[in-house]
Amino acid sequence: MNLAWKEIKKNKVRFLILGSIVFLVSLLTFIISGLANGLSQDNAALIKDLPEGQFYMNEDADETYNLSRIDSGIQNEILKIQKDAVAFSIQMGFLNDEADKQQSIAFVTSTDSKLFENVKHEEIILDSSLKDKGIKVGDTLTNNQFSGKFVVKGFVDQKKYSHAPVAYISMEDYKEIYRVEQMQLVFTPEGDSSQEFTGLQSFSKKDFLNTIPSYSAEQMSLNMIVWFLVVISGMLFAIFFYMMNVQKIGLYGILKAIGLKTSRLFKMIWTQMVVITVISLVISITLSQVFNMIAPEGMPFSLSFKTTGQLSIVFLIIGFIGATLSGIQIKKIEPLQAIQQGEV
Amino acid sequence: MTLFTIDEVRKSFTNGEVKEEILKGINLSLREGEITALVGASGSGKSTLLTISAGLQPTSDGQVIFEGKNMTTMSSEQVRKVRASKFGFVFQFAHLVPFLTVEEQLMLMLDVSESRLKKHEQKEEVNRILKLVGMDHRKNSYPNLLSGGEKQRVAIARAIIHKPKVLFADEPTASLDSKRSKDVMLLIRELTKTLNITTLMVTHDEEMLSYADQIIKMSDGLILQNVD
Repeated sequence: MNLAWKEIKKNKVRFLILGSIVFLVSLLTFIISGLANGLSQDNAALIKDLPEGQFYMNEDADETYNLSRIDSGIQNEILKIQKDAVAFSIQMGFLNDEADKQQSIAFVTSTDSKLFENVKHEEIILDSSLKDKGIKVGDTLTNNQFSGKFVVKGFVDQKKYSHAPVAYISMEDYKEIYRVEQMQLVFTPEGDSSQEFTGLQSFSKKDFLNTIPSYSAEQMSLNMIVWFLVVISGMLFAIFFYMMNVQKIGLYGILKAIGLKTSRLFKMIWTQMVVITVISLVISITLSQVFNMIAPEGMPFSLSFKTTGQLSIVFLIIGFIGATLSGIQIKKIEPLQAIQQGEV
Repeated sequence: MTLFTIDEVRKSFTNGEVKEEILKGINLSLREGEITALVGASGSGKSTLLTISAGLQPTSDGQVIFEGKNMTTMSSEQVRKVRASKFGFVFQFAHLVPFLTVEEQLMLMLDVSESRLKKHEQKEEVNRILKLVGMDHRKNSYPNLLSGGEKQRVAIARAIIHKPKVLFADEPTASLDSKRSKDVMLLIRELTKTLNITTLMVTHDEEMLSYADQIIKMSDGLILQNVD
């Protein structure tokens, strides 16, 4: 006999309230997590979309890529050893559109690579968010540090850096604008930290992201909110399951007195926990994914099924721990005590 | 024939530094198909004796022999199995499971006692017992829709559905009015005789003693009088 399900069916309101709390807390966590991911994408999609590998910058750059200038000899040596390695630079800047309106962008240039857009002299490829600003293919853009004009050759999706749209330009044009000959960084896909080069410091992708000003501070704050919510929801689950089970101590005592196994009572509360949590999570995953699709264009929101799946597993584990902790009360219940307590 | 023997059973509790002796060496035999009533003033130890006999609490000393086996030396799982399959319980309050219908209460007991009956046979047995206690017309009702007397009838049906050898009844009529108390006692007596169940009952109601085959008067943890 499925006691767990029969109790849920009879006490719909009580379980609906518990389910609503699980649903609201998990939805809030998913939304905050989506915002954190969205901001993270907005801040560093250019880097995050690269495959796993090693980033190199000058040892004396003090872990600040802006200060890094890689010696062309070393750069050529790395590119020679590792065919798919790429040297690149990023600089914040601006462009004037045809209406002479200034747009903040992040200029990116690189050696030939499949990982970056390859553009010719006086050509530019932009992040698609600039389409919303009225820029289209064939438009000419200017920069007061640049003697020529950039012709828009195309757009790429979701390429942002430091909350600004990326603009790919040729190395020749980049060197003219910023008056530098060297690249700031070298990236070796699938490389590992064991590969060392004289005068260069290596970083994994995660470590490199943390060197980006504001990225780690922003992510740390948002992740703290997400995990704080997870911890609070864990405590809420535990408290609610505990309250529910404490109310039923008399009932559990009687069931034990007539011979029901304690393990069966545990199965009953686990089943209820799983049913309530899974239904609530399915609803909040669905709603958060719908929000993911309809979120306003300007809102940095990105929520993958992988993230919701991982968080859902955490919620299920927390729910299980909460239910088990409250279930310990069941183990302690003396049938005699319940009988003497009076009617359940 | 003796089914149940209580041999020199003692029970004491330590309250701070004071040791309180509730049962001071009880000897008692319960015969098959008979109702034994335990009577006495509050604090005389009758409920403690009943719960110890039912395996709901351990003894401090002495033995409880059921079907030739000493229950005081059994593991808690062994005692649980005996309780589930061989004992039935009726308490002062019905203690029904609030989210199960009358029929489901009895099905649960068959489930707990690991009945070998097939599903349809279980349903037939439930209907038969509900008819016996006059509750077959309420089999789909939840406990909150039953009167006190009806609840107690269901509790009795639950206590006997798995054909227990012993029925333990702790003040089964205490929460009922006089007419319903008589009905319940008549029912317990009828079932005890029909199904050959051994019943140990605690009561403080002198009127109920007329239904008993053996009356044990207790006082201060001792048996004062054993009347057949």
